[in-house]
Amino acid sequence: MRIAGTSYMDSMVNTLNLMSAKEYQLQNQASTGQTISAPEDNPAGMAQALNLQAQNSAVTQYSQNVSTLQTNATVAGNALTSLQTITEKASEIATSADGTSTPAQLQADATQVTQLIQEAAQLMNTQNGSQYVFSGTNSSQAPFTVSTDANGNVTAVTYQGNTSVSQSEIADNTSLAVNVPGQNNSGSGARGVVSDSRYGADLFNHLISLQNNLQSGNTSAITSTDAPNLSKDDDNMIWQVANNGATQSRLQAAASFATTQQTGLQQGLSTVAGADLAQTLTQLSQAQNAYQIALQTSSQILQLQQSVLNSLP
Amino acid sequence: MLGLFNTLNLGARSMMAEELSLEVTGQNLANANNPAYTRQTVQLQTSTPTPTNLGLQGTGVDASSIQQVSDPLLNSQIQSEASVGGYWNSQQTALENAQTQLGEFLNLSASGTGSTTTSTTSSPDLSDQLNNLFNAFQSVATSPIDPTARQSLVNSAQSLASSFNQASQNLNTLNGELNTSVGNDVTSANQLLSDIAILNGQIAKATASGGTANDMVDSREQDLENLAKLANTQTTTNSDGTISVSIGGQQLVSGSKLSDTLATYDPGNGQLQVQTATSATPLTLSGGSIQGTIDARDGALGTLRNNLNTMASTLITQVNSIYKNGYDLNGNTGAGFFTGTGSSNIGVNSALLTDPSQVQAAGVANATGDNSVALALAQLGSQSISALNNQTFSSACSLDVENFGNALSNANDQVNNYNSVNTMLLNQRDSVSGVSLEQEMANLITFQKAYETSAQIITTVNEMLTTVVNMKTS
Repeated sequence: MRIAGTSYMDSMVNTLNLMSAKEYQLQNQASTGQTISAPEDNPAGMAQALNLQAQNSAVTQYSQNVSTLQTNATVAGNALTSLQTITEKASEIATSADGTSTPAQLQADATQVTQLIQEAAQLMNTQNGSQYVFSGTNSSQAPFTVSTDANGNVTAVTYQGNTSVSQSEIADNTSLAVNVPGQNNSGSGARGVVSDSRYGADLFNHLISLQNNLQSGNTSAITSTDAPNLSKDDDNMIWQVANNGATQSRLQAAASFATTQQTGLQQGLSTVAGADLAQTLTQLSQAQNAYQIALQTSSQILQLQQSVLNSLP
Repeated sequence: MLGLFNTLNLGARSMMAEELSLEVTGQNLANANNPAYTRQTVQLQTSTPTPTNLGLQGTGVDASSIQQVSDPLLNSQIQSEASVGGYWNSQQTALENAQTQLGEFLNLSASGTGSTTTSTTSSPDLSDQLNNLFNAFQSVATSPIDPTARQSLVNSAQSLASSFNQASQNLNTLNGELNTSVGNDVTSANQLLSDIAILNGQIAKATASGGTANDMVDSREQDLENLAKLANTQTTTNSDGTISVSIGGQQLVSGSKLSDTLATYDPGNGQLQVQTATSATPLTLSGGSIQGTIDARDGALGTLRNNLNTMASTLITQVNSIYKNGYDLNGNTGAGFFTGTGSSNIGVNSALLTDPSQVQAAGVANATGDNSVALALAQLGSQSISALNNQTFSSACSLDVENFGNALSNANDQVNNYNSVNTMLLNQRDSVSGVSLEQEMANLITFQKAYETSAQIITTVNEMLTTVVNMKTS
């Protein structure tokens, strides 16, 4: 084949261009650690990577949801544990108040029950941030207000919240309600913390009745009505504490599941779009060597051409 | 016998022929780096023989013509490849540009390091922004009365809306640039057509007077190749050496006459097409950068713009239809979340920007902790939407990116193929028509030696004539 003078230069420039393009690509891969950066690099891989990223982002969000819910559940759990102590104490007072108690003792007990009611109402108005945890979904509203008479005796505790709960997603198609209504006498839905007609629980009214009966010295009513009622409240509170514990462990499980999922998705991402550094760096140094060799060969050919011209007379 | 005087003439003719060859070699060497140049050779032929008593006797050499060494087949292949190259190069440029404007790049280190920190940081690409929006709805659903979650929802929505606006505006600008580029290419093509017609005239004149117009043929060849890059051409060589040029079946140059030119026209949608200028015949081009630009504009880029717009308008209607039924923290209802109708004008209800408590997250009035609307909006992110061909928002976005990436990656492959084929063809043509320095240097010596020896003949004949003249005096 006849080789024209310009052919050397043209093909040299062409070859060097191709080689630098390859080198540039490899260098990019090595520095970013990715084989795919733009849609053109690998359209299907790019789409796969974007989908994995979307999943990863959703899972990250789920784990954030879980951690928010965990805070909620912990706050509610602490309040419930304290409430359980109150119901236990009230039951003890009701049990000990019998015919043998002196009126002074009964009066003292009545004062203590009044304080217990106040304390319980305060606990039921627990907030997580600005959110009342026991008012159902009426979260900006303090759920319980306590009415007292001139002597400081509690006459009524009214519920201001509602009976609804809100569901939050903790995984794909899995949702969980963390907030609980303080009172639910509707006969359906989530179990009320202090009052639920289905289980005979009505802590505040039972406590008020105990308070009144202690003050009036009506020990027989205490034994026949208040003590059994308070025992139902006790049972309800035990269920609430257990339920909260179960929710917390579900959240714990969801959190670790999300972490596992994230690890898996990130592995998937790096399989799809990540560069094998050892391989990339080897290829890069090969490409660099090839470039060097091409440059040397080209300069030798040019020297050869020069010597052909020089050798002619 | 020619006789001494005729031999003297023979020597002189020979010297002239060698000198001409030397001149042409000089021309070849001078154009060694001119890519459009076709090397030339002097055609030598024996001059008219003289009848002698020994029969016809040779009288030396004459230069009959200066010819180009070219391969018309290779030239026509290079022309048709130029159309292919022009087509794909313009597609590649347009789509590369669109890729940058879309800003959909993968950055594993930004999102893939397992950080569980907030995912609502601002990032430039739509797929991320979409994820962020639905995540922000999740956050509001989980903490409905948390002002931070509401604020970050409004921020996410705001950045998604501006990303849509930005992408839409960028791609619109690109669309406008592509239209301008079609116009510019048409202007260049018209200039080349007119140059070709003029060169045709000059070549016809030179050939008619029995000469050759090699350098004009070279110029015309280059014009034809440049024209082929813009639009695929059909050429016919006429007997007078002129070349007639048709584009899309319409003859535009016939001989030295420019019968028609190209013009752009607007079919009504602002997207320029090409027709002939005087006869106004719409042209269907099958190659060249004009058609490449048009196809990129109406093909991958057009689809991308449409899909982007569909996605934005679907997002607006879907989100608003759920959101309108919600209640904000103050018990108000009925407002929209997004404003606008498509990717170019999507925005966030301005009341929310100043007061995120107006985000209607609750499904019932006066229950601030109710999250049913926020939850439904969060779940919208994982639902298949019929307006998006039963894809979720995020998978529709990935699919759009994939389809666009395929178009660009195909253009890249085609450009690479063209480059290898073109390089091969150019090498082949160079091997026929290119100037080889070695060959020309060798020719230089040959012609020089031949010139010297021809001169030697004259010297010898001269000496012989002197001998003849001196025969009488001595």
